[in-house]
Amino acid sequence: MTTQELSGPATFSTVEASRSNLWKDALARLAANRLAVVGIIPIILLFFIAIFGPYLTPYDFLAQDFTARLAPPSSVHWLGTDELGRDVFSRILYGARTAVSVGVISTVISLVVGIIMGSLAGYLGGRVDMMVVWLTDVTRSMPALLLAIVINLTLKVPLEAWLEQMYLQTKNTFFRQTMWVDLVLVFGALALIQWPGYARLIRGQILSIRSRNYVLAARALGMPTNRILTRYVIPNAMGPLIVAVSAGLGGAMVLESAFSFLGVGVQLPIPSWGKMISDGLRLWQTHSYLLVGPAAMMAIITVSFAWLGDGLNDALNPRQWKE
Amino acid sequence: MSELLEVQDLQTRFKVRKGYVYAVNGVSFRLEEGETLAVVGESGCGKSVTMLSLVRLLPPAGRIESGQVLLRGDDLLALDQRQLRDVRGGQVGMIFQDPMTSLNPFINIGTQMAEPLLYHRGMSKKDALARSAELLEMVGIPDGVARLREYPHQFSGGMRQRVMIAMAMSCEPSVLIADEPTTALDVTIQAQIVELVKELRDRSGVAVIWITHDLSVVAGIADRVIVMYAGYIVEEAPVDAIFEDPRHPYTVGLLGALPSLGGETGTRLTTIGGAPPDLAELPTFCPFHTRCPFVIDRCRSENPMLEPVSGASDRGHRAACWVDIRGVTEQTGGTVATEQ
Repeated sequence: MTTQELSGPATFSTVEASRSNLWKDALARLAANRLAVVGIIPIILLFFIAIFGPYLTPYDFLAQDFTARLAPPSSVHWLGTDELGRDVFSRILYGARTAVSVGVISTVISLVVGIIMGSLAGYLGGRVDMMVVWLTDVTRSMPALLLAIVINLTLKVPLEAWLEQMYLQTKNTFFRQTMWVDLVLVFGALALIQWPGYARLIRGQILSIRSRNYVLAARALGMPTNRILTRYVIPNAMGPLIVAVSAGLGGAMVLESAFSFLGVGVQLPIPSWGKMISDGLRLWQTHSYLLVGPAAMMAIITVSFAWLGDGLNDALNPRQWKE
Repeated sequence: MSELLEVQDLQTRFKVRKGYVYAVNGVSFRLEEGETLAVVGESGCGKSVTMLSLVRLLPPAGRIESGQVLLRGDDLLALDQRQLRDVRGGQVGMIFQDPMTSLNPFINIGTQMAEPLLYHRGMSKKDALARSAELLEMVGIPDGVARLREYPHQFSGGMRQRVMIAMAMSCEPSVLIADEPTTALDVTIQAQIVELVKELRDRSGVAVIWITHDLSVVAGIADRVIVMYAGYIVEEAPVDAIFEDPRHPYTVGLLGALPSLGGETGTRLTTIGGAPPDLAELPTFCPFHTRCPFVIDRCRSENPMLEPVSGASDRGHRAACWVDIRGVTEQTGGTVATEQ
């Protein structure tokens, strides 16, 4: 992102010149949207840190410096250290990995489930539609956090017991790692909470697009159903979906933090921003810097995703393009 | 001329909350190769539903209850989905009422126009785009190659309708069904579209079914006219006979409602009083009797069949009316065509 792309008139002419391909056009329009560009920067940084974070951190996330417990921010520990003498800055960078993997994976799972269920409901209608709508209503009627707690409490112990048994039977060390049980449960809970939203969105989109004239015209031209779905229905449903996904990614990260905060999310030693906030909260009166770092990251990322989603919506909608 | 399309006893009804709506009630007609047939009638008389039924494009609530649609001998109502797709766009092209929403806003014109060519003709993408550019110029959009890269929102309504026509004609269909293609356009553009379709028809020899409620368009384009009312064909005649010798009171009413340049000034247009009947059940009476100035007792108890009229100039002139309305004075009792 250069400053040239941020300046209005210059980008406008590039939009005019390169109107050959929808995605290229959309990208140019996105680049012309200042808020979206401002939103993209932290998101790109976040993904970069999530991937390369462990190579960038000054300290290991577990490394303890007992001589400098609860040290305030300094040139040695940029954001200070926590109760156990671990470097807060390093842990925030590692936390990005947790946030991104939880956000992306749970969103992908809920998207896949949501798109399949929503498309079936919207396209087939009738009984299938009623079933899907009923399922989404039931799921959505339960408070998200309560659902996550129930899942965690009911599934975690049996799952770990099952893994233990598998290990005893097979002696495969794979079953010894219990760390990912937490991750699976968190992904599962997040996906369960989020899929009804996507399903309802897709269903509504398909119901509305299915009856549009261009779909009738495409059918009148003999286009097969799968081609109509992929070229006419889905692209037209994408705008709202991309916005929802963009907001959903941020939402999933916040939810994950909330789970960790309540102790039903990712367990230590993997750092999670929510867990860090929760730990920091006990000492906020004396050591508020423990809280500021992770909380600020959460806030920045959430806002960035919202701005990006808005920008994407405008960029992907050709009807809103200025002449 | 040989027979291209024969529709026999087509019946279509829609399932609604309480029972059914009988939209098309035993419609039969024929279309010769290269002929232009106009279908006229007011909104809700079953014109569009009839045409959508031909290629089975009805909305989910609609069902074809009976009938045959023979296109060169093949019954379209008996084809499987695959064969049906080959007919749609391949042998039967369609254009619709509202060009503003008939194009996919997310795909540029070229990609969109290439679709049927890729699919029906198996052309390469490059050939399909070249052909699309030719088609655009054929329908009067200059600089076709450059315009292929543009999106629908960059085209005006009239141009979009030209694009729709080009797409419908791209695979050289034998029938072009035009469902009120000029209704949403302004008058000068309407005339251009009518001229365009006439020109394409004369050049390619395509048969045209032109649905409209505008009789002034009919006079300029059609060979034969079908008048529909309440899901029935009430009159069928060569275009001249419809204007000079109408035999169904509804046709007379429609013609009376036409504004004319030679008419008196300062008077209001004639309208047909009343509204079409509710089609929640099949009528056991003439569906037009409540609005008919020529009504007799028989109209209230029996629904007339479409039968050849006596003393007609053409053997194909048929009407569904108990009364020979030539020389009959208007009866009292029915709702008389009123001046409003």
